[in-house]
Amino acid sequence: MEFDLQDILKDIFTLSLGFATIRISISIVFASMGEMITERSGVLNMGVEGIMLMGAFTAAVTTHFLGNPWIGLLFAGLAGMLIGLIFAFIAITVKSDQAITGLAVYLLGVGLSGYLLQVFFKHGGNTPKVETLPIMHLAFLENIPIINDIFNDQSVLMIPALLLPILLYILFYKTPWGTWLRATGENPKALAVVGKNPITIRYLAVMAGSFLAGIGGAYLSISQTSLFSERMVNGRGFIALSAVIFGNVKPAGVFAAAMFFSFMDALQYSLQTVIPDQYFPREVFMALPYVITLLILAGFIKQSKGPADITNPYEKESR
Amino acid sequence: MEKIQKFLLKNSAVFASVLAVIFAFLVVGILLLSSGRNPVEAFGYFLDGAFGDMFNFANTVSRVVPLLIAAIAFIIGAKCSVFNVGIEGQLLLGALASAVVGYIIELPKAIHLPLTLLAGTLAGGLYALIPGWLKVYRKVNEILSTIMLNYPAFFFNHYIVLNVTPLEGVIPATPFVNETAKFINLVPGTRLHAGVIVAAIVVVAAYILLQRTTMGYEMRAVGFNQEAARYHGIPVEKRMMLAFFISGCLAGLAGAVEMAGVHYRYLDQFSPGYGYDSITVAMVGLLHPFGAIFSATLFGALKTGILDMAVYTEIPRQLVTLINGIVVLFISAKSLVQTQFTQVFKGRQSNPSSEEK
Repeated sequence: MEFDLQDILKDIFTLSLGFATIRISISIVFASMGEMITERSGVLNMGVEGIMLMGAFTAAVTTHFLGNPWIGLLFAGLAGMLIGLIFAFIAITVKSDQAITGLAVYLLGVGLSGYLLQVFFKHGGNTPKVETLPIMHLAFLENIPIINDIFNDQSVLMIPALLLPILLYILFYKTPWGTWLRATGENPKALAVVGKNPITIRYLAVMAGSFLAGIGGAYLSISQTSLFSERMVNGRGFIALSAVIFGNVKPAGVFAAAMFFSFMDALQYSLQTVIPDQYFPREVFMALPYVITLLILAGFIKQSKGPADITNPYEKESR
Repeated sequence: MEKIQKFLLKNSAVFASVLAVIFAFLVVGILLLSSGRNPVEAFGYFLDGAFGDMFNFANTVSRVVPLLIAAIAFIIGAKCSVFNVGIEGQLLLGALASAVVGYIIELPKAIHLPLTLLAGTLAGGLYALIPGWLKVYRKVNEILSTIMLNYPAFFFNHYIVLNVTPLEGVIPATPFVNETAKFINLVPGTRLHAGVIVAAIVVVAAYILLQRTTMGYEMRAVGFNQEAARYHGIPVEKRMMLAFFISGCLAGLAGAVEMAGVHYRYLDQFSPGYGYDSITVAMVGLLHPFGAIFSATLFGALKTGILDMAVYTEIPRQLVTLINGIVVLFISAKSLVQTQFTQVFKGRQSNPSSEEK
């Protein structure tokens, strides 16, 4: 068999690659948008992965027992918020090292979801199949050729995922709440002078971010697939963290970064199926998203400028 | 009374750590109760499984070996403010490299076994230089980079085992190593092997490096205050790279020792998360080599004990991972306990420093 590069490229860069990119991006967009809110307030939550796992788990379990994926989605967000509250207490009130607390949240998410999975379902590494959120068919897209192939018949969560960056842009730069949020991340003491409590704002930002991470996890278990399996988030939380760094903690940038990483993942799957294993090992493609993410971070991070006060605990009196 | 207060104050970190573990166990007890299990009975099975007889005890010690070496790997890094969460990946690479050297080469044991361990050590150390370079010269957070580098390591090993090294049977693994590349078994019928000596040497060497050498002092200075260290002429970048390298080396060594002592080949997915557990072990051990001995014993016991418990009760073995998460959470909040301690005792002493506040 001969390699025909043109044929191979044609097989890889299809419209279904665009469809897959959007499909993969939804969970990463939710998680990275959430983390962006958190980081804007000056808090770094490295436990996104763990929160997503708990979201994915909670969504599948509540959907399984209550039969309604919408309730599952809501509970996933609430579960995320609850974990976020624990993180916020330790990171903000107790003023522990944020990186280590985030690490603890990650380990907690892996452990708790794995443990509860066994408690609820005894055997096997996954839940039974559950009902999923509806797929959205938009009739008006049918006549637009390329757009239709990429955006039609995606999960219903695609709409909020695409709107989220716009909404957050408006929130950040056009509302007083956004000003307070950004000020908390840049110079919390100045904000305190104006009479706003930076601690409250940081709590709210962490919980909002964790809510979205929970939703991002839920998408994986009750929309992209229809069950929860152990460790199913598989590094997406860390990819989302990278997207926030790469995107400079700004809505448009983070969204673009999330889309880029999702494209890389979609490309990786496509390469796996198109290029036969005997020519090129599958494992290389599987490792690709992680390696590319790191390479990009290596190239860009020095230019990246996040909030000035990130990871610093807020002290009321200066000494 | 004053002596007791001083003692408590001086060791507040130790008490905070012990309290974190106790709290974690309480939470687990409540979790067990709420899912209808008897925590006392479970604890009994756990103790019996971990320490019940000679065999169980020997098995517990065999679990302590990789945990302890990997925990020292984390400690050396953390002391220089390098948080190596990639121990799992480095450990896997170390195990594979040592297995390959173990089965390909034929040499007398006195040379072959050390060479096998060295191969694993270097594999881990070299791999850790990647996140090292990323952190030191490109400012990429090492928690992020080391976790992400675990995936390529895993895929690489998977590929090698399935496609490069000859497969014997259906399990994805390398061939068994030669007799000359194996640790001798210390208690027949258990997994306890002579690698326990290597673990002991690593602990002592780490203590000497950190506390008794200039190099170790400089590494700790970087961890304590980077800018101050730089001001005093310590080459911060070099010391951090060294911390990454040593940390990775020890992670690789942990994998190599486990390979040469327990499995005698590289077995795909042989590690039950030693790399992640080592973080907990290091933190509970207060990032001190000797402290790690106690915490590694505790978590080694957890590993064997809970497996035993899972056989007799319906409590899932994932409890280990859960306990890890809860313990690290409490440990990260331990400054809460510490400040309480300090406030309670300093408040009573009414010394000038407390009046200042």
